[in-house]
Amino acid sequence: MSRSTSLLENLLFFWIGGVVILLLGGDYLQVPDWLLVAGRLHPLLLHFPLVLLLLSTALLWSRSENWQTLAPKILLLGANFAGITSLAGLILATEDYEGSNFSWHKWSGIGSFFLAIGFYFLKNVKLQIKKSIGLGLAILLLLVGHFGANLTHGEDFLLGPLLAQEKQTLSLEDAEVFRHVIQPILESKCVSCHKEGKVKGELRLDLVEGILKGGKSGPFFLAGNPEQSLFIQRIHLPLEEEDHMPPKNKPQLTEEELELLRLWVLTGGKVNQKVIELPAEDPFYQLIAEKFTKEKTYPFSPADEEDVADLNTFFRKVRPIYPGSPALEVTYFGTSAFDPSSLEELSKVSEQVVRLKLDRMPLENVDLEFLSDFQQLEEVYLNFTGIPESQLSVFSQLPQLRLLALSGNALSEVGTKHLLSMRQVKKLFLWQTGLAIQKQEELKKALPTTVIDFGYDDKGVIYPLNPPKIEFDEVLFQDQTQVILSHPIKSTQLRYTLDGSMPDSLQSSRYTHPLTLKSSTQLRVKAFAPGWIGSETTDTILFKKGIVPTSYSLSTLPNPRYAAKGASSLFDGIKGKANHSSGDWLGFTDSPFDLTLSLGGLKNLSVLEISLLLHESAYIFPPQSVELWVGNSGKWSKIPVPNLPMSTKIQDPRFSLLSLPLSNTQADQVRIKLSPISKLPSWHPGAGAKGWVFVDEILIH
Amino acid sequence: MEKEIFEQGLNHNRRKFLSRLSLGIGSVALGSLLIPDLFSGKQEAEDALMRALPHFAPKAKRIIYLFQNGAPSQLETFDYKPLLRTNFGQDLPESIRMGQRLTGMTAGQDAFPLVGSYFEFNQYGQSRAWISSLFPHLSSVVDDLCIIKSMHTEAINHDPALTFFQTGAQVGNRPSMGSWLSYGLGSENENLPAFCVLLSRGKGNGQGVYSKLWSSGFLDARHQGVQFSNSEDPVLYLSDPKGMSKDQRRRMLDQVSAMNELSYQEFNDPQITTKVQQYEMAYRMQTAVPEITDVSKEPDSIVKLYGPDCLVPGTYAANCLLARKLSENGVRFVQLYHQGWDTHDNLPNQMIGQAKDVDQASAALITDLKQRGLLDETLVIWGGEFGRTNYCQGKIAPENYGRDHHPRAFSILMAGGGVKSGIVYGETDDFGYNILENPVHVHDFQATVLNLMGIDHEKLIYKHLGRRYRLTDVHGKVVSDIIA
Repeated sequence: MSRSTSLLENLLFFWIGGVVILLLGGDYLQVPDWLLVAGRLHPLLLHFPLVLLLLSTALLWSRSENWQTLAPKILLLGANFAGITSLAGLILATEDYEGSNFSWHKWSGIGSFFLAIGFYFLKNVKLQIKKSIGLGLAILLLLVGHFGANLTHGEDFLLGPLLAQEKQTLSLEDAEVFRHVIQPILESKCVSCHKEGKVKGELRLDLVEGILKGGKSGPFFLAGNPEQSLFIQRIHLPLEEEDHMPPKNKPQLTEEELELLRLWVLTGGKVNQKVIELPAEDPFYQLIAEKFTKEKTYPFSPADEEDVADLNTFFRKVRPIYPGSPALEVTYFGTSAFDPSSLEELSKVSEQVVRLKLDRMPLENVDLEFLSDFQQLEEVYLNFTGIPESQLSVFSQLPQLRLLALSGNALSEVGTKHLLSMRQVKKLFLWQTGLAIQKQEELKKALPTTVIDFGYDDKGVIYPLNPPKIEFDEVLFQDQTQVILSHPIKSTQLRYTLDGSMPDSLQSSRYTHPLTLKSSTQLRVKAFAPGWIGSETTDTILFKKGIVPTSYSLSTLPNPRYAAKGASSLFDGIKGKANHSSGDWLGFTDSPFDLTLSLGGLKNLSVLEISLLLHESAYIFPPQSVELWVGNSGKWSKIPVPNLPMSTKIQDPRFSLLSLPLSNTQADQVRIKLSPISKLPSWHPGAGAKGWVFVDEILIH
Repeated sequence: MEKEIFEQGLNHNRRKFLSRLSLGIGSVALGSLLIPDLFSGKQEAEDALMRALPHFAPKAKRIIYLFQNGAPSQLETFDYKPLLRTNFGQDLPESIRMGQRLTGMTAGQDAFPLVGSYFEFNQYGQSRAWISSLFPHLSSVVDDLCIIKSMHTEAINHDPALTFFQTGAQVGNRPSMGSWLSYGLGSENENLPAFCVLLSRGKGNGQGVYSKLWSSGFLDARHQGVQFSNSEDPVLYLSDPKGMSKDQRRRMLDQVSAMNELSYQEFNDPQITTKVQQYEMAYRMQTAVPEITDVSKEPDSIVKLYGPDCLVPGTYAANCLLARKLSENGVRFVQLYHQGWDTHDNLPNQMIGQAKDVDQASAALITDLKQRGLLDETLVIWGGEFGRTNYCQGKIAPENYGRDHHPRAFSILMAGGGVKSGIVYGETDDFGYNILENPVHVHDFQATVLNLMGIDHEKLIYKHLGRRYRLTDVHGKVVSDIIA
């Protein structure tokens, strides 16, 4: 045995002695200041025994002889350091330390010291036994280390990052200001020195009572007054100052944490306030709110994924309200595909369904009692399902229910009674339920915190009807044509006139069956219905084809842009569309329309019709003057023509029928002259400019 | 053909080989160390990203977008600027215009005379928001609205501006917003398309809409918008030809899908499966669509609510009613376009007509969703592609004037679907020309809409031609101030 080994073995007894004295003497000993410094070396010294003892144990597993023989030497060295560390630790313990963590650390530390010594002197045993003792020692050392770390870094230091993540998933709804925002800051930055077992400045921040009580220097804070609060002052002192907290060598508070602590004191330093109770515009709220997920968290576990997958069909969707959420939403689609028995299949997920949407599904004969198992239901949509009101009783039994949509289902006495008992519901949709006003008032009064939407009520609202529709085969017909009048609202009455006058609700003919027209006609229709204002007039002009002249010529040419196919377009039997550039219209502006036509022999003429286009915003007006001559064997005579009404406002493009009676005049030639308006009236945006005349057909009867 | 099959086999093998290679030990080790997502190869990581949609709990489940095509003037609707009336006829100061480019239509004008709204404004609801007399019905639901007065865009002409709003790019060929949502969230109701399009036209000066606006771009064709027409067949080519029974159709589909299955086993082309699924969906739509387009069972009060035009197919009111029915049946995105807002001249007259078309039905849609408890989960958007100038285009009179296109500031409305209600967001200057506070760019708007649907706009991506695409390109900031 070498001298050094023997010296080290002897030293062990010295350490044992010291440890025993300190253990027994403990609190009665007055430790001198210089020894306190040695005590504070404990956190440094502890690394030596830890490494050496673990190494010596590990060497037992080595296959190399050299290493194996080294093991006892290292163990001896380690045991010595364990002694020194224990001594230092016990000296340090005379400062402010107490609590369970502390005593666990103290006794397991001393225990490992003695175990190491015993292990060293246990020489002639099997390797197997040595290995197991070594393992025991290693475990004990880990425990010592863990309790020690808890003491300096605070509890849960090790698992901190994992625990913090869990905190993030806390929902805003459940979060509390003190417990989830302020306390974590204190715990991470302050509690390691102000807690059970290490009560620096007689201040304990690990307990709510300690925080409210304060320490040696006075109360911890003054509610509502951060400037006068001791701890706010301390944490804002310059880093160099002795009173600055946390001490210089400890982790410092961040800017955000400083601000949060200040705002907490400012808002009264309450320890039981919920985050959502703070006003939304409060900067404190805004700073905190984003720390928590706004997504609601649920207390139940997710349903079996396969069950959920099985429940999905083309007509029923069952899925999480968002990925990763255990809460499920069930939606039914397709009224005609609805199978009432499919509702029972949902019982597999009855604990997870929070939303159930059955809008428009026929539920007249469905018993909803099964829903009483769906205790997590928060939102139920039953619009237009025809559910009997007696079925509503089940919803009183759902504690989480906050939305119930019943629009479109008939409700009365029974329904109201059930609704009155649903105090948990926050939103009720009762449009089209036929509830009498007094029932509505009763509900509103009984459920003051519930938002009840009775929806749109059309009573007393009077709007004009939209205009009726006129349907026919062709604008230009041969002998006769059929016209059908219709209106999208089936209950309307349609009244019409055939002479261009305005239809009214009393005098004008009432439309019952399709009309047959035998001459060119201006048809005007209006719709009437009780509870509505009469519609605007729909009108249309239907043209009857005339005789085609044998020859015709225009003495002036139409504007080249609107020349159609020349004069032949006037007799081609093709009615232009209500659009002057459709290519069917002849347009005149600089020169009048001046047409001479021959009928190929004397004919009895009853009426001559000219089909015009009017569209004021395109400068297309009725002609300023109309002149008409008939020729009989080369003799011309002028026929008087009444003055035409001129446009007075801008209207949509439309047809106009200029009908000139000839009262059975005998003629073989006709000449028509239409002069465009030379100056547009003053109300027109193009006042003073030349107007246009557009013609597409001339019909001679 | 032999050759193609051979090459197909080669491609297949190489792809398989490469993807296996990427799963090699080295890449697993390195990849998992560097980026956890890389663990199973990039494309699959992206797939996993898509599978995790929505990214967070959605506030809105569905969208109804009432697009006012042609750009309604903000100055006659929601952005009240009395200064423009008092300064009638005065030239727009250069200090306000700041070199803003002009369209070809007013670039030649010598002067830019300011003109105020012909219509009176009043404050409504608890929010005391200013709304013009054009919108008596929307005024009555003002407390359900979020009015954004500070929208701005980059385009100055209709087609690029419209395309920008709908697809996030001014040029075509990108997927539309509805297609992105269909791609990201899929359909709620598998018996209907996730993205439906309804068109209507007012009497005002119109600008065309084209099917590229609801194209799926480079996304799978099943995400394309399905246009509903106002004919007897609301969805073209959906009904069976005369003489074909439901049974025959079923048997035919079964045979076709059996043959497609063989084809799939040979070529492994996923498009074949898509096609089979589309046939099946069309088959189910044959039942679902008539159920929805049938308005005969709507209660009388609905006709009063939306206005009698809601029974006239093809009108804006009818489309609003249909939009509600589609939406309540689980269609993710219903896109309406109402044309006729391009008021370069004769503005007051044209606006009266247009407002009459849309005011009652737009408000009705909001009320109707609300009374069914659906407004909270349905986002309704109302607005055009840009705004209109504060100066007059062409002849000027207090009661008759025109306004040109203006991209720097305009107003849109949002309602329901997790948006704060009864608020006015953003402010323009006294001239209504520039934004003073809280500007909302089109990409910000898109990012916000996606956010409301539970999607992180930076994570809704699709790789095409070697780059990753997003609806918001590389821009967009969620406007959290308007989210409830």
